[in-house]
Amino acid sequence: MAMPGKPIQVTELDSSFKAEVIAHEAARGITACFSCGTCTAACPVHEMFPEFDPRKIARMVNLGMKERVLSSPHIWYCTTCLECEESCPQRVNFFQVLSVLKNMAAREGYAPPCWVNQTKQVMQTGIVFATEEAWVKKREELSLPPLKGDGRKAAKLIQLAGADKITAK
Amino acid sequence: MSRYALFLGCTTPTRVPQYELSARWLCKHFGVELIDVEDFVCCGANQINLSIETGLLLAAMNLALAEARGLDIITLCPWCFTALAAGAEELKNQELKSKVNERLSTIGLEYNGKSKVKHISRVLYEDVGLDRIKQEVRKDLSKVRVAPHYGCRYLKPSWASKGFDEPDDPKTLHQMISITGATSVDYETFNLCCGGKAFPVSDDVAHSLIRKKLDDVNRKEVDCMVLSCQTCYLMYATQQEKINEKFNERYNIPVLLLPQFLGLAMGAAPEADLGLNLNVPSVDGLLSKIDGKV
Repeated sequence: MAMPGKPIQVTELDSSFKAEVIAHEAARGITACFSCGTCTAACPVHEMFPEFDPRKIARMVNLGMKERVLSSPHIWYCTTCLECEESCPQRVNFFQVLSVLKNMAAREGYAPPCWVNQTKQVMQTGIVFATEEAWVKKREELSLPPLKGDGRKAAKLIQLAGADKITAK
Repeated sequence: MSRYALFLGCTTPTRVPQYELSARWLCKHFGVELIDVEDFVCCGANQINLSIETGLLLAAMNLALAEARGLDIITLCPWCFTALAAGAEELKNQELKSKVNERLSTIGLEYNGKSKVKHISRVLYEDVGLDRIKQEVRKDLSKVRVAPHYGCRYLKPSWASKGFDEPDDPKTLHQMISITGATSVDYETFNLCCGGKAFPVSDDVAHSLIRKKLDDVNRKEVDCMVLSCQTCYLMYATQQEKINEKFNERYNIPVLLLPQFLGLAMGAAPEADLGLNLNVPSVDGLLSKIDGKV
């Protein structure tokens, strides 16, 4: 028989976590969650990888399990397909909630390198991949117009949002 | 007929240029004028992962660039469509709009919500229309069986596709396929996500989702899949060989972007106009079947 998991200790919970999350307008919907699990049943990633579980994430936020949620690699598994939001009887915008959690995790240093690199590329060239030589040539061959590859204006906005400060795990 | 600023996004122009090539050919053919705006940047969809504010600011920047030119936007990427549309929706909030405009003023732009955004599938369905597409069909596709793949952002969020199609029971892509004379084949996992947005973080997540759909489609003995998202293309087409290696499968299902498929039906040059030679797996079998060589 499997050993029971570690009991949840109230003293290890961060009671301010939920307030911190819903301070973001985009995540306020989570207060309507009654843990029915329709989101999890609808989630194509959960079907393949049960460790990614929208209901579980929502419940952990409501309990205040800040460290476990933000350090979890699984919050980055979402394919953003929106099945969770479309199926929710309480109209919880879980994709937005998860985005807020990922933003918080990123500021704590848990961002996957791929997304940090994409932000850096946008700051340099405006779009991702713009200046890779093989593709520049391919576009010429196909007589497609050249890409400008100027990220200065995007970089200014990214700096104003503070996202240039985010570093990868 | 209609006129749009062409929003290319990041992945299409550099990873799936045949989507851009065929979309330009098709739009030109139907009199949909595409204006290149070289200052467009990333739509912000992926930036939301790290910073919701960055996502909104980039969406607002792009919308403001189109607005300054007095143009609505057409996107090839469904993610770009929903990122820009969601930005416009959020910016109906006047307080938020003022805050965003303060930021945009530092790069000499202003957002006033005058430009609308449409995905190319909707432009084809609404601006061009099924009748016009039908009139232009020049090839006999009656023996061709096609698995339509809508992809998540073609249909969701449902508020963005309202008045166009229904997420639970979509029909527009089916119709655009069958109007050519081809058979649009139903299959159980038709609305399953390609997993593309999880791919950079975990290829295992994406591969498991890709395999599930390819397996289903394969059993339907179709000649190809048709879709209108470059990320879905990269997953089902470019990753197909990896799936075969990883899971010891032997899938060989050509994948066409919607403008390539319609262009083919209309008699466009497969290589020069549609870039079909760039597709993997090879579409040669499909071309032979259409030309009656098989």
